[in-house]
Amino acid sequence: MGKKVLEVKDLVTTFRIDKKEYEVLRGVSFDIEENETLCMVGESGCGKSVTTLSIMDLLPNNGRVVSGSIKLNGQELTTMSSKERAALRGKQMGMIFQEPMTALNPLLTIGRQMTEGLVLHQGMSKQEAYDTAVNYLEKVGIANPEDRMKQYPFQLSGGLRQRIMIAMVMAVQPSLLIADEPTTALDVTIQKQVLVLLNKLKKDVSTGILFITHDLGVVAEIADRVVILYSGRKVEEGSIEAIFSKPLHPYTVGLMKAVPNVDEDDFDIQPIPGTFPNITEEIGGCRFHPRCPYATDRCRAEVPAEIEVEPGHLVSCHKVAEEYPGKEVRK
Amino acid sequence: MSEERKKLLELKKLKKYFPVRRGVSIKAVEDVTFSIYEGEKFGVVGESGCGKSTLGRVILQLYPQTSGACIYYGRTKDEMSPKYQAKEVAKLLEYQKKAQEFYQKSLEIDRKAEAIRGQVDALSALGTDREVKKNTSLQKKLSELEFQSKELRKDASRQLREGSRTVGSLILCKDLPKVQDLFRQAQKETEAAAAATRRFRELEKQYEESRLAGRNDDGLKAKMDTAKSEADSHVEAARALRQKAFQDYRGKDILPITERTLDPAYQAKLDGNYETGINLGKLTREEMREMRREMQMIFQDPAASLDPRQSVGKSIEEVFVINTDFPPAVRREKTMDLLEKVGLKREHYWSYPNALSGGQKQRVGIARAIALDTKFVVLDESVSALDVSVQAQILQLLNELSAEKHLTYFFITHDLGVVKHFCDRILVMYLGNVCELADSKELFHNPLHPYTESLLAAVPRLKIGQEHSTESVLEGDVPSAMNPPKGCPFHTRCSKCMEICGQEKPPIVEREPGHFVACHLYDNK
Repeated sequence: MGKKVLEVKDLVTTFRIDKKEYEVLRGVSFDIEENETLCMVGESGCGKSVTTLSIMDLLPNNGRVVSGSIKLNGQELTTMSSKERAALRGKQMGMIFQEPMTALNPLLTIGRQMTEGLVLHQGMSKQEAYDTAVNYLEKVGIANPEDRMKQYPFQLSGGLRQRIMIAMVMAVQPSLLIADEPTTALDVTIQKQVLVLLNKLKKDVSTGILFITHDLGVVAEIADRVVILYSGRKVEEGSIEAIFSKPLHPYTVGLMKAVPNVDEDDFDIQPIPGTFPNITEEIGGCRFHPRCPYATDRCRAEVPAEIEVEPGHLVSCHKVAEEYPGKEVRK
Repeated sequence: MSEERKKLLELKKLKKYFPVRRGVSIKAVEDVTFSIYEGEKFGVVGESGCGKSTLGRVILQLYPQTSGACIYYGRTKDEMSPKYQAKEVAKLLEYQKKAQEFYQKSLEIDRKAEAIRGQVDALSALGTDREVKKNTSLQKKLSELEFQSKELRKDASRQLREGSRTVGSLILCKDLPKVQDLFRQAQKETEAAAAATRRFRELEKQYEESRLAGRNDDGLKAKMDTAKSEADSHVEAARALRQKAFQDYRGKDILPITERTLDPAYQAKLDGNYETGINLGKLTREEMREMRREMQMIFQDPAASLDPRQSVGKSIEEVFVINTDFPPAVRREKTMDLLEKVGLKREHYWSYPNALSGGQKQRVGIARAIALDTKFVVLDESVSALDVSVQAQILQLLNELSAEKHLTYFFITHDLGVVKHFCDRILVMYLGNVCELADSKELFHNPLHPYTESLLAAVPRLKIGQEHSTESVLEGDVPSAMNPPKGCPFHTRCSKCMEICGQEKPPIVEREPGHFVACHLYDNK
C-alpha cells in the first residue's frame, strides 16, 4: 500500500437554491494513493465536478461542504481557512479543466503563464522558472518549447493547449492532480495522445490523479481504480479489473451496456430507461430505484449500505447484498 | 453498390470554399462524390475541421455550394417542375454552339502547334548555341499551345456535360431545336401538374377541416382525387413527351462537335448525366424552402435549437404554421401525436424547454424534424452532447422512426462506437476530402486507408488487462484547411507515406465492391 494522498470521507455538499438547501453530494468517500489514477465516472449532474470543487475549495457562493472530511497528505482541509487552502491550490494540488482555451489567459504568453506559478509557489527566480517551464514543455512532448513560450494560446491547437495545461500543473509537482474531463473536448486522435502522455507522466512522478470522465473507454485506458457516482452517491467502487470484468451495481451494468462498443459486431443498444434525477428531486431509499429493473419495496424505503464484496470492491445495492450474504458492511 | 437500391441523393464533385480574404479561402469540402440510398443510415466521421458539418449543411443548401452538384431523387423534376428547368432548356442551343466554338478554337491551336512542331523537328537535327536557344523557346511555346488546346477541349466537354444534364446525349443532335420544342411542351405539362398538386393541397386542407368538424365530405374527397389524377396525368404526359424526344432523336444525326461525339460510349456517358432528380443548387430560395419539408436537420445542442420563451408545443406547431395551412385544431392534434411518437407526454405541450432534460429536449428537436413528410434528415452530432444512457435511448428512438417512416439519415459524428452500431454505411473524411467509404462492418474489419486505421486505433476501448497500443498514435495535428498539404491531404501525418503522396492527390478507387478508398497504396491494384 502506497501513501495515501487524498482521503475523502462522508463528504456532504449542499447547494442553496431558492432559499432551500439541496444535497448534491450525499456522503461520498474514497481515497487516492501515490502513483494512482482514480477515475470518477457518472452522468452529468451526478456530482463529479462538485466533488472536485469541494476538494479544491472552489465551490460557487451558494454551495458549501456541510460535513465529512477531506484530507490531503493527512492534513484536514475542511477546517482550514480559505486563505490557507488558497495557498495549497496550484502547489499541492493542481487542476486541469475540460476546455483549455478558457483556462488559459488569452492575453498572456504561454511563458508568462507557465512561470507565474513557479515563481509564486516554488519561490524560483525568473530564470529558474523559465528553465523549469521549458523542461516540462519538453516532457509533455512539445517540440520547440522555447518558441512556444513566446506564443499566445490562440496560436496553438486544442491538443497543444491541453499539453501546456498539463505541463503547467505538473511543473509545480503537486501531490494531487485533478483532471476534470480533460480529453472530452478533443478529437479521438488527440485524446489518445493526451492519454498516452498522462500514463507516461504517471510513471515518472508520484502524483495521485483524480480523473473525472463520463467516457468508459477512457476509463479503461487510464484508470487504476474506478468510482461510480449516481446522483450524489457512490454506487460502486473497485479496481479497474473488478469494475470491467464483474460490474455488480445495476447502474454500472446498465452503463456498460449503453456504450456502443467498437469491438463488438452485434451490439444491441440497450438504454437505461427513464431520466437522470434532478438534485431537487426527493427520492427515498436508493436514488437509482426509479430506473432500476430490480427495484423492490426495500429499495424504495431504505438507503442501501455499502458492502465489500471482495477486498477493495465496494457496492451499495440491496440486491447485491442479498447475493453476497455475510459480507462485511462498511460504515 | 447494388443498383436495385434507389438513390436518394447524389453528390457530384461537391466543393465548398469559405472565402477569408482575397486569394485565401478555407477549403472545407473538396470534390466530394458519393450517393446516399433511400432508407439508409449514412454515417460521416472525422475529426473536427474535416468538413463533415459543412457537408451536411451544403446538402441542405444552408450554405451555397461553390461548385459541383447535389441531386435529390426524393422527388422527380416532373413532380416538382423547378424553375431552372425552363432556363436550362432554353440554354441548350447555346451549350451546343459554345462547345462547337471551343472545339474549333482548339483545332486551330492544334494546327499552329503542328507548324511549330515541324520547326522544332527541323532544328533538333542541328545544334549550334543559338539554335538550341531557339529550340527551347519554341518548345516552351509548343507546350503552352498544347495546354491551351487541352483546356479548350475541356471547356467544350464541360458545355456538353451541362447540356446533357437536361437532355442526355440529345445535346449532340442536329435537330436540337426540335428536341427543345418537345422539352418545352413537357415543361408546360409539369407546370400544369404542379398547379394541380397545389390545388390538391388546398382541398386537402379543407377536407382536414371538415373531418375535424365531424363531417365526412365525400364531395371534397372526390375533388381531391380528381386533382391528384390530373397531376398524375400531366406528369405522365411530360414523361411521354421526353420519351418521344429520346426515341426519335437519340443516336440520329449526331453533330461531329468534338472528336468523341460519334463514339457510342461517350453518348452513353452523356445519357448517364441526364438528371431525373432535382439539382438542389439550382433551385430558387422559395423552391428550396418547399424542398425542406422533406429535408430536415437535427442539431447537436438541443437547448440552443429551442426558443426558451416558447412552449414545447408552440415550437413544434410552428412547423405546421409555416409550412402548411392546417387549421389550429388540426395543428394541435398533430403536435400531440408527434409528442407521443417521440416518447414524450401530451402534457409536455405546455412545458418550456428549461423544464426538460437534455434527452427530452433532443426529442423535441426530433419531433420538429419529422413533423412534415420528411424523407431525409441530417443529424449533426445529435447525440454527442447527451449522457450515455440517454444517448442510447435517442439512438433507439431514431432507429424506430427510420423503420416506421422510412427515413434516410445523414449521421454526422465523431464517435466511432455510435457510428458502427447505428449506421449502414460510413464515410471517413479528412480535411474536406473523402478518405474511405464502406459498409460499416467492412470498414471496421478491413480498414484500408491509413487514416481510418489510426482513427480506429485511437478509440478508447472498453477492454482492460491488455497493454493499450501506442504505436499507431497519430503525431501532430490536422493541418489548416486554408493551406492544405499538396497531394494527399493526409500525407503529413501518415505512417505509410510514399514519395508520390506529397505530389499527387490519390483518386478514389473501388477496391472491393462498395468499398471505396482514396490512397496511393491502392493504385494499380
